Amino acid sequence: MLVMLGTALPVAAQTNLIGYWNPIFHEDVDERIPGPSIGDYLGLPITDAARLRAEAWDASILSIPEHQCKPHPSTYGFRGVGVLRIWEDRDEDTQQLVTIHTHIAWQEQHRRIYMDGRPHPPEYAQHTWQGFSTGTWEGDVLVVKTTHLKAGWMRRNGLPLSDRATMTDRFHRYGDVMTHVMIVEDPVYLTEPLVKTNGFLLQPAGTMTPYPCDPVIEVVRDPGFVPHYLPGQNPFLGEFAETYGLPRAATRGGAHTALPEFAETLR
Amino acid sequence: MTARAAPAVALLAVAGLACAQPTRAPGPPPSAREAAPIDLTGQWVAIVNEDWRWRMVTPPKGDYASVPLNDEGRRVADQWDPSQDGACEAYGAAALLRMPTRLRIRWDGDERLVIETDAGRQTRNLEFGMPLPAAARSLQGLSRAKWVLPPRPAGGPGLAGAGGGPVRAGGYLEVETTNLTPGWLRRNGVPYSEDAVVTEYFARFTAPDGSEWLMVTTIVDDPRYLTQRYIVSNHFRKEPEGGRWNPRPCGASS
Repeated sequence: MLVMLGTALPVAAQTNLIGYWNPIFHEDVDERIPGPSIGDYLGLPITDAARLRAEAWDASILSIPEHQCKPHPSTYGFRGVGVLRIWEDRDEDTQQLVTIHTHIAWQEQHRRIYMDGRPHPPEYAQHTWQGFSTGTWEGDVLVVKTTHLKAGWMRRNGLPLSDRATMTDRFHRYGDVMTHVMIVEDPVYLTEPLVKTNGFLLQPAGTMTPYPCDPVIEVVRDPGFVPHYLPGQNPFLGEFAETYGLPRAATRGGAHTALPEFAETLR
Repeated sequence: MTARAAPAVALLAVAGLACAQPTRAPGPPPSAREAAPIDLTGQWVAIVNEDWRWRMVTPPKGDYASVPLNDEGRRVADQWDPSQDGACEAYGAAALLRMPTRLRIRWDGDERLVIETDAGRQTRNLEFGMPLPAAARSLQGLSRAKWVLPPRPAGGPGLAGAGGGPVRAGGYLEVETTNLTPGWLRRNGVPYSEDAVVTEYFARFTAPDGSEWLMVTTIVDDPRYLTQRYIVSNHFRKEPEGGRWNPRPCGASS
């Protein structure tokens, strides 16, 4: 009987995250609304390989049909624009929580966070933009583990994440404010976990509209052409540093650029 | 009631009996230190990977992007002069934890948590005891603190969580700070007034690689200079005791 209780009973009275949440853009507004500058890697713990990939990135790639309707991967989506809606599915008979859904309006980023204790699939299973997510409660904080991600990005200026990246995210609610924490690990493009926080404000009368996307030919190009820069040939990498009077050593990023002692070197 | 629901009700009834809690023996309530659901003490380093160019360096005059200033707030911000860079107004309670800084957090007795920063050499006292002492307005103001515990799982302690894993205790610290002197939300003179009320939430978590993190969500409510609440969050990584500590007083060019 006790074994049955231990496995069958739900843990109730957790924080209610259900509702519509508007992103708060009081932080990183340049990156998150208009989009980051080319060559801005400030404070990010990137590897040399990530920097090399980013320096080859050409924003024109977003204009080719195969890239026009891409959603953000879940490793970035919570930093983007668009209302967030959260709801849950419960088993009709037992009322156990089975799934928490998060849906972000832009490009219809829909995550399913399984709360029923199911395991993650084997490594060879399909990788998707939102990945495979399972959740647990840590007190009143929802903690989510995501694997099986497609190769994506950590910033919208070409900074990549590999398909080996995983994410742990946490949902902390404080009244009508929610702080979402992302902890992204990637053995290919990060030297240490990338921790980011995003604020959301509860929207009692929120709405969600569809976001249909149909790719079109925006620019006629030779078949198979992929916009890019070869190493050393991107002419825009220095613009960000020049515009804001920052040393290139800072804008090229790396874990050390996030530490207080790095600020001391800038005086 | 369906045939399937009846056994479930019986199970719940048994669970309620099994999880009945012993009656707490009468006695004095635990101190704030004893009641702490999480341990915030130790040395923490700010990881500045958000708002980098507004936090690691002094931004240009008039750069108040993303701060919800009203007209009066912009007027005051536009009066800032670069010669004021490094002034202590940038190290007030509303923005101190935005600085590239290290924190040392310790208990002073059982009802006061102390936060020291090496940037600006500031000290904040988070008071759990009541009432707060009368004091003149100051850069760090008066901070009233309380622990917030998560709701107790209905399944009772020791039962598996809905996700199959154990449910950990959690909880966080809530701090409200008032009685402030005017200060700056950014080093370039973006202002908050003495009317500001600063609410902060301190949480702690462990990353998958084992590193320990402190996250502080800060909400500044200032009807004099802001059109809405200013909401940011800062994260700090735990460091070994006695690690790098570089006190730099404010008031000089920093």
